Amino acid sequence: MRRLPVYILIDTSGSMQGEPIEAVKVGLADMVATLRQDPYALETVCISIITYDRDVKQIVPLTPLEDLQLPEITTPDSGPTHTGAALEMLCQMYSKDVNRGSSEQKGDWMPLLFLLTDGKPSDIQVYNSAIPKVKQLAFTNIVACAAGPKAETEPLKKLTDNVYSLDTMDSSTFRKFFQWISMQVQAGGKSMGITDNIELPQPPAEVNIVI
Amino acid sequence: MMEKILDTIKQLSGDVSQNLIDKFLSNAVTKLWTEYIMDIETIIKTKVDSLKFSIPNASVKKGYHIEIPFNVEDVSEFLLEGLEETGLNAEKTDNGYIISGTPVKSGTFPLVMKYRYEGCLLGKSLEKKFDLIINPDPRDLWKDLPVPEDIEYPKKNEDKKYVKVTALDGTPRKDIVAASKRGRSHANEGKPRDDDFKLYHNDENDWYVIAVADGAGSAKYSREGSRIACETAVNHCINELKNCEKFEENIQQYNLFKDDSESEARKYVGDDIYKIIGAAAFKAHKAIDNEADNKGVASKLYATTLLLAIAKKFNFGWFVATFWVGDGAICLYTEDKNGEQPKSTLLGVPDEGEYAGQTRFLTMPEIFKDSTSLYKRLRFRIVDDFTALMLMTDGVSDPWFETDSNLNNPEKWQKFYQEIQDNKEHPVLLDDDNEQAAQQLLDWLDFWSPGNHDDRTIAILY
Repeated sequence: MRRLPVYILIDTSGSMQGEPIEAVKVGLADMVATLRQDPYALETVCISIITYDRDVKQIVPLTPLEDLQLPEITTPDSGPTHTGAALEMLCQMYSKDVNRGSSEQKGDWMPLLFLLTDGKPSDIQVYNSAIPKVKQLAFTNIVACAAGPKAETEPLKKLTDNVYSLDTMDSSTFRKFFQWISMQVQAGGKSMGITDNIELPQPPAEVNIVI
Repeated sequence: MMEKILDTIKQLSGDVSQNLIDKFLSNAVTKLWTEYIMDIETIIKTKVDSLKFSIPNASVKKGYHIEIPFNVEDVSEFLLEGLEETGLNAEKTDNGYIISGTPVKSGTFPLVMKYRYEGCLLGKSLEKKFDLIINPDPRDLWKDLPVPEDIEYPKKNEDKKYVKVTALDGTPRKDIVAASKRGRSHANEGKPRDDDFKLYHNDENDWYVIAVADGAGSAKYSREGSRIACETAVNHCINELKNCEKFEENIQQYNLFKDDSESEARKYVGDDIYKIIGAAAFKAHKAIDNEADNKGVASKLYATTLLLAIAKKFNFGWFVATFWVGDGAICLYTEDKNGEQPKSTLLGVPDEGEYAGQTRFLTMPEIFKDSTSLYKRLRFRIVDDFTALMLMTDGVSDPWFETDSNLNNPEKWQKFYQEIQDNKEHPVLLDDDNEQAAQQLLDWLDFWSPGNHDDRTIAILY
């Protein structure tokens, strides 16, 4: 059985407290509900969620969509944003979870990575050293999203060419954003040759392309 | 007790009316009682909330059985509500509930466990809320949407063909059957079939030609790529095999020295094969390049695999030669006879990467960058006889074989070949001259395999 692993990294630093994190939760729940209605996603998609603030937690280990239950997401009152440590954990989990094809085992679909932040990495050294490690792992696409006015896009550009921004952090914006992610996940299980990336679907109006 | 309370009041305030005392008592008791109830409720609520209440997701049409332990000190009554529409039963036990049955409806169902402190009325009960998620049955979700009529390069959603080769001088001859069907993942989105195939038999000199191709799901015009690939490659072979006496002589010679891997005869046949099917593949590659140029787009938009085979029966046995780029499978299969083990030979190596869906395509320049690259994709051999020569796209080989190791396992091929013929719903009668087999094979392609819903194409020479 070939799975499509999807890694979602969510910033849970203090600034996300209140409406933003509630909006993210609604968006995530919406996304999961949408994917559950897609028969192909229901049979192939596996989701892992990693949250990062001062602490980095894999709040959902790589779980088949069928078995997935979204846990509570909590945010501290304040403190740093350890984006770098989150990428480190991602690399560990990827090596552990993702099946590579061999003569004895069917390989998974190449995973997808989504990273959401409303600020900038506080652990910039760790962040910079994690980036080449992430790039060594194969992802069909890495999509990074800077949410709200305080999010910095420059560090994200080092991680991927697919950087997007959200002007506001309300629930309707996040809902649109996660719907767009759902579309990408639905397109994820396609054959693509040895090297080609899959083109991203057109983002909704609320999601701005950062060039 | 009561007198003591009255005495205390009189000592504090002197004589007061009975009425006032009654009011006071009623007030005091109400307050105390309310506080008391709130306290015990808080206690049991804390206890109940500390119970881990995560229950696994259920799925429509799949049996479900879960115990929910609800054994809390001082809680005597409890009642579970919210399963009414799900099709599941809740059976109360001394220590909680057992939810079991087969769900009929999907969705997120809010469940409520009502409970009360020992001795209180259930009507004023406390509640513990949690969700039960019931997944839909993926089979109910697949849509079969038509392809928009105005697309470029239209293609039928399914195709089938039977090439009947009748007996010669009383000896039955092998036939070819093929079927191709749009995958559920394409049908679900109203997208066309990307696979293709083409069959041919030369009635004069008895050469068989078979091509199967799988257009890349991610490439915009791959359906046309696979069509051009099959069409061009097979047409080239048809022309080359029209007058091929010299080639057949070389095969005869090769047969005499077939155990000698370094023989001159082998080299001659190798050169012929290079000119026939190697060139067929290259022409197909070129034809796709031309089409892409005409349209002013990159040829990778036409990305397709190609599996090509030619075969002929000689008086000394069968000659089979193949070219293969991409995933899928070409297998020469001989069933077990007289207690011998079944034999299967994969005529090439599937191009697969570390991840699912990664493969090489006919459209990639590296396939033809030099003669060695092309040579290593060619195979030829002589065998006494065989049961079936099968060519298939990964839409068929993935669900049944999954790994390279299985593709090289004759027992898996035996199982596969039996499955085609013994399938409960759609058996395929692989009898000589059974033209119905084409439709039967097409119906067989409807098999269910979780996560495997690509276009499916298979051709069998048998």
